[in-house]
Amino acid sequence: MEIKFVLNGKEVAADISPSIRLLDLLREKFELTGTKEGCGVGECGACTVLMNGKAVNSCLVLAAQVNNSEILTIEGITNGEELHPLQKNFLLNGAVQCGFCSPGMVLSSYALLEENPNPTDEEIKDAIAGNLCRCTGYKQIIDAVKQTAKELKVEVKV
Amino acid sequence: MIDIMCEVLTPKNLAEALLLLSSADSTTKILAGGTDVVVGKTQGSKRFADAETLIDINRIEELKGISEKNGMISIGAAATFSEICKSKLVEEKLPLLKKASNTIGSLQIRNRATIAGNFVNNAPCADTVPALLVYDASIEIKSQTATRNVSLQEFLQGPYKTLLQQGELVTRILIPVPQQNYAGDFYKLGRRRAVAISRLTLAVVIQLKEKKIGDIRIASGAVTPIGTRFPKLEEFAIGQKMTDNLCQELAKKMGEEVLAVTGLRWSSAYKLPVVQQMFYQLLKGLER
Amino acid sequence: MSKDFSIVGKSVIREDGFEKITGRAKFADDYKFDGMLFSVMLRVPATHAKINSVDFSAIQNNPSVASIITSQDIPGAKKIGMIKNDQPVFCDEKIVTPGDVLAMIVGEDETELRKLLTKIKVDYTSLPTLTDPKKSLDPDALLIHPEFGSNLIVHHPLRKGNVEKGFAESDEILERVYTTQTIEHAYIEPEAVIAIPLEDGALKVIGSIQNPFTVRRIVASVLNLPNEKVQVVQAQLGGSFGGKDDTMCMLSARAAVAALKLNRSVKIRYTRDESILESYKRHPYILKYKVGFSKIGKINAMKIDLLADGGAYCSMSPFVTWRSVVQATGPYEIENVQTDVRAVYTNNPYTGAMRGFGSPQPIFAQETLMDEIALHIGVTPDEIRRRNGLKLGSVTATGQTLKEHDVNLIPVLNKAVSFTNFAEKWKENKKNQTGLKEYSFDQPIFKDEQFISSEKLIKKGIGLAVSFRGCSLGAEGLDQSSCYISVQPDGKVVMLSGLAENGQGLRMTLLMAAAEELGVTADKIIFLENDTSKIEDSGPTVASRGTIMGAAAAKNAAELLRKQLEKVAREVSKLDETDFISFRENLVFSRKKGMIAKFDDVIKAAFENKVELSAIGRYKSPDVSWDEHTGQGDAYFTYVYGCQVAEVSVNTGTGEVYLNKITAVHDPGTVINRLGAIGQVYGGVTQGAGYGILEEVTNEDGMIRELNFDQYLIPTAKDIDEIKPLFLEGNEKYGAWGAKSLGEPTLELGAAAIANAVCNALGKRFYNLPLNLEEVLLGRKLRPQDLKRGSL
Repeated sequence: MEIKFVLNGKEVAADISPSIRLLDLLREKFELTGTKEGCGVGECGACTVLMNGKAVNSCLVLAAQVNNSEILTIEGITNGEELHPLQKNFLLNGAVQCGFCSPGMVLSSYALLEENPNPTDEEIKDAIAGNLCRCTGYKQIIDAVKQTAKELKVEVKV
Repeated sequence: MIDIMCEVLTPKNLAEALLLLSSADSTTKILAGGTDVVVGKTQGSKRFADAETLIDINRIEELKGISEKNGMISIGAAATFSEICKSKLVEEKLPLLKKASNTIGSLQIRNRATIAGNFVNNAPCADTVPALLVYDASIEIKSQTATRNVSLQEFLQGPYKTLLQQGELVTRILIPVPQQNYAGDFYKLGRRRAVAISRLTLAVVIQLKEKKIGDIRIASGAVTPIGTRFPKLEEFAIGQKMTDNLCQELAKKMGEEVLAVTGLRWSSAYKLPVVQQMFYQLLKGLER
Repeated sequence: MSKDFSIVGKSVIREDGFEKITGRAKFADDYKFDGMLFSVMLRVPATHAKINSVDFSAIQNNPSVASIITSQDIPGAKKIGMIKNDQPVFCDEKIVTPGDVLAMIVGEDETELRKLLTKIKVDYTSLPTLTDPKKSLDPDALLIHPEFGSNLIVHHPLRKGNVEKGFAESDEILERVYTTQTIEHAYIEPEAVIAIPLEDGALKVIGSIQNPFTVRRIVASVLNLPNEKVQVVQAQLGGSFGGKDDTMCMLSARAAVAALKLNRSVKIRYTRDESILESYKRHPYILKYKVGFSKIGKINAMKIDLLADGGAYCSMSPFVTWRSVVQATGPYEIENVQTDVRAVYTNNPYTGAMRGFGSPQPIFAQETLMDEIALHIGVTPDEIRRRNGLKLGSVTATGQTLKEHDVNLIPVLNKAVSFTNFAEKWKENKKNQTGLKEYSFDQPIFKDEQFISSEKLIKKGIGLAVSFRGCSLGAEGLDQSSCYISVQPDGKVVMLSGLAENGQGLRMTLLMAAAEELGVTADKIIFLENDTSKIEDSGPTVASRGTIMGAAAAKNAAELLRKQLEKVAREVSKLDETDFISFRENLVFSRKKGMIAKFDDVIKAAFENKVELSAIGRYKSPDVSWDEHTGQGDAYFTYVYGCQVAEVSVNTGTGEVYLNKITAVHDPGTVINRLGAIGQVYGGVTQGAGYGILEEVTNEDGMIRELNFDQYLIPTAKDIDEIKPLFLEGNEKYGAWGAKSLGEPTLELGAAAIANAVCNALGKRFYNLPLNLEEVLLGRKLRPQDLKRGSL
C-alpha cells in the first residue's frame, strides 16, 4: 500500500506492506536507524518516536496507521549539527552511557516538555518510566530534563 | 523486519467500519492501540493466530471524545488512556477511572491504548474494569443493523469471553454521573512501581450518611478470572455503620468470595491475605 | 603524588556522546551491506533431548532459503567455550538446554525464514532432565556431558587455620543457608552480528561484542583459519554487563560459517525472547555458612560451602566461582576458614560472566549473616564490622597480607554511617518493629488480629553492607594491556586501546588519562575504532579492569610521547638542562621562562626534525599467586572497598519494598571522569536493587518463564527515589595516579544492604533472593503452574 506522512518535518511517501511496524518502516525503508528495537512488545521504549506529538512505541504501530500522520524521530530532533537543548543537557549531565535507550529517552522527554514545560521530578519519572535503561540508573537523565526545563523557561522570559 | 501479514483497513467513519464488520468473519479483528493485537501477532499468540484482516478504528471521530449529557458521561471506545487522564470531566466526576487509567502501562502505552481495548478481550488484569464496574458503566454496541446497550458486568462473560457478537463493535462507554456525596478509591498492586501488570486491583465507591452506608459498590481485578463486582458484600454493607469492625467483616467476606471463585491455587497463598488486607486498608481510607 | 590535575577528576562529556544522542551512533543491527542475508535459528521446545533426525525437505527447495547451515558446514572446531570447549555451535546429536540451536536457515527475508522454521521436521526424543544443582553430584545423577564423567565443572577449596578448633573456641555458632536467583543481564540492545567475507578467504565480523579478541580466537578456531584472517570490529555496544561474550562468540561463529559458505554477508540478530532464551545468566548459588564467634562478636571461624549452578555449559564458571572463593568471607579477618566452592552442570540455562562476577551472591549471604551476628551480641551492624573488618596489615582468608594499598574498609564504612546517621536510625526502626502477620494457606480467611492498623502498614528500615573486591583479573589470568598513541602533524592525537568500550565510558577515561599526561585538552584526541587487527590483545574488558589496566597503559603511552616532545621543546626553546618543562592544556611551559610554545608548534618542530611521534604504552599487573589445592595466595594485587546503605519502607500488608535512598560510598582510588564515575554508581546501584527485590529468571523444567520485559522486570525510573554517590579518594600506587575499579563494586552490595534494611523494618530475616512480594510477605517464592504469560 502507498502511504504518505510527514517525517521529521518533510512530506514522504512509501509503498509498503501495511502490516509492517512503524519501527521497521523507519529503520529499513527510511534508514533512520536512530530508533532502536529493544523488546518488540512495547515494554522497553527504545523504539519511542512521536506520532502527532505524542510519544508512542513504534513497535506497536503498523505502517498503515501512519498514513497522514506526523512522525518525529531522533534524527528530526537535531537541527543539522546543532543539538537540541535536551540533547546537550543529556551529554552535560552524563545521561548517556551505552546510548541504546538514549534516542527513545530524548523523545519521551521532548514530548513531556512540549506539553508540560515545568515538570516536577515525579512527572519526569512518569514520562520516562516506559523507557528502560540498564546503564544509568536514570538519575542523570532526570537531571538533564530538569535542567532543560529550567533553561527553556529562561529563554521564554527573555 | 517484522510483518504481521495482515490486511489493514482504515474506515473513516463509523458507518464504514460497521459496513466492513458486517461482512467480516472471525479472521477480522479490531485494531485500536495495537498493544494487544500487534504484540499478540508478533509473539504468535493463539488468540490472534487466525487474524488476517485488521480494522483500524483510530481515526473514527464517533469513537472518540468524552462528554456529559443528561446525567451520563459518554466515553468513546477509542479514547486513549492519555485522553482520559487529561479529561477535566473524568478528573472531577470519575476520579477512580482517572486513577486506574494512570496506572496502565507506560505513557507510550497510554498514548495508544484505548479504554474499550482494555476490556473488550476481557483479560483478568484489565486495570480499568473494577473502576468502570463500580461506576455502573454500560457499553453501547453497534452493528450495521442495530444498537444495543449492555451493562459492562453483563458484557464480561468469562476469561477472554464477552457478549460481543460477530459484526459488532463497542462504540461508547456510558457512565451515569455519580452523585456528589459519593466517595471512593482505586487501588492497584504491581510488582514494580511503574509499567507493571496488576497483581490486584480494587475499586470502591461509597455513600456515607452520618457514618451509615447509604450505598456501596465494590469491585476487584486480577484476583478472580475476570474483573468482578461483589453484590453480596454490597448488600451486606448497605445500611450498616462504617466501623472498623465492618471494614474487617467486609474484607473477610471478600476473601471468602474470591476463594469461592478461584479455589486454592498457586497464587492464593499470597493473593488471599493481600486482597483482604488491602481491601480493609482501602475501606479504612474512606471511613471519615 | 600530584593532585594538581588539569583534566583528571573533572566531569567531561564523553567523546561518543554526540553520535549517541543524535541517533547516529551505529550499533550492530544498524549496519547493512549489499546482498546481506539473514540467518535464523532452529530449536526444539525441549530441555534435554536426543536429536534423531532433522528433515529439511519441506524447505530445501524453497526460493527464500539460500542455505541450510548445520554442523556439517563447520570447517574447524564444532564445540567452543571460554574455558572448556563444551558448547556445540550446532547441536546435531542432542540438546542439553532449551536455548540450544540445531541448525540455521539463511536467506534474504527474515520474516519468511522465521515462518519456514516451523516447516522443518525434527524427530527428537525427550530425555530426563536435571534441573536441581543439588542433585548434580549424586552418584546416580544423569550426566549433562557424559564425556567428562561428572557434572562437576570446578571445585575451589580454601583452607586456612583450623575451623574445628575455631568453632570449639567460639562462644556462639550460627549456621545458615541462603539462595540467590538466576538473573538476566538485560542489556537493552539484543545481540546482533554481521559476518562479511573478505578477499582470500578472510572474514570481518562486526557485532555487539564485548571482547573482540575472544571473538576472534573463537571464530578463527571454528573456521579453522589463522587469527589474522579474522578481523573483529566492535560496533557501538548497547550494554553488556559481562553478557555479550560467550553468546556473541557463538553468534559470530555461526554467522561466519554461513558467510564463508555462501560468500555473502550474513547478519544474525536476536529478538528479546531469543536473547533471554539463549544467552547466559548470572549464576544462582546455594550458600551454606557456619560461623563461630566470641561474646564480643570477634569471628573465630567460618566454614563456607557454595554451590553454583553452571547450567548446561561451563562458560566462565571456573573464574566466577574463583572470585567467590577469594571473597566468600567478606572483608573480615578470620583466623580459621574453610571454603569449598563448586560449580556444576544442569540442564538449566547456562550461566557465566555478569557484572559482579561471583561476588553479589556471597555478599548477600555473608553480609546478612554479619547483621545476624550483630543482633546476637547486641551491637549495631556498623560496630560488628569495625570489630572484624580488614585493616592495613590484616591477613585475608587466602593468606594475603594487605599492604601497599589503601585498606579503606573502615573509612568507607565510617563515611557511610556518619553521612546517613545510620546507627540512630537503625535503633529507632528496630524499636518500632511490629513484625509481620502469619497467614495460613488452609485457613486463608482472616481472623481479626490479622488486620494491620493503617498507621502500622508502612515500616521503615535501614541496612548496610560492605565489601572488598580484588581489582582486575587477579590469579585468574594474564593481566596486561596496551595503548597506542600517535600525534598527527597538525597536533591532533589519535589513540587506540586493546580494551573495548562497553558503553560505560572507558574510551573517555583512557582519553582523559592520555590528555592529562600529554598536557592537551580532551578535544584534541580522537579515539580510533576498536579493531583486533590494529592493536595488541589487551585481555578482555571485564573484572572492572578497564580503568586500572587501560588508563595506566594510556598514561604510559602518553608519557613516552611527552618525553620525546620535551626534548624537542628543550632544543627549540634552547632551555638549559636544569629547566623543567611541563605540558598543560595545549601549552608548553618552562619553569624559568613561563609559556614557551603551543603544543601544536612543538609537534610541528618535532615533525620537521623527524622525531618519532608515536608510542605504545603498556601496563602489566604486579605478580599475584595462587595455590589451587589450599586456596592460599596473593589473589589480587590490590583491592577496592565499598559500603552501601539502603533506606527502605516496607508495606507489611503486601510485602512491597520501596527504595527511598541508597547511599553508596566507594574508593575508586583516583576518579578520572567524575561524570562517568557517578554514572557507574547510579547504574550499578540500580542493577543491584533489581537483583535485591525484582529480578528473577525462573524456569519450569528448564523452560524459562520470563522471556521478555513484560515478565522480566528491571527497575524503571520510578523504582528508586534517591541515590547518593560518595567517593573516598586515596593514595593508591597502582594504575594511573592510583585510579582503580568502580564498575562492579557499585552493583554487588545493594541486595545485601536492602535485605538488611527490610529486616530492620520488620524484624524478620531473609535468606532467599530476590525479596519480591511473596518472599517478604510469606518468606517463600510462589511459582505459576504453567508457562503462560500473565497467568493468575
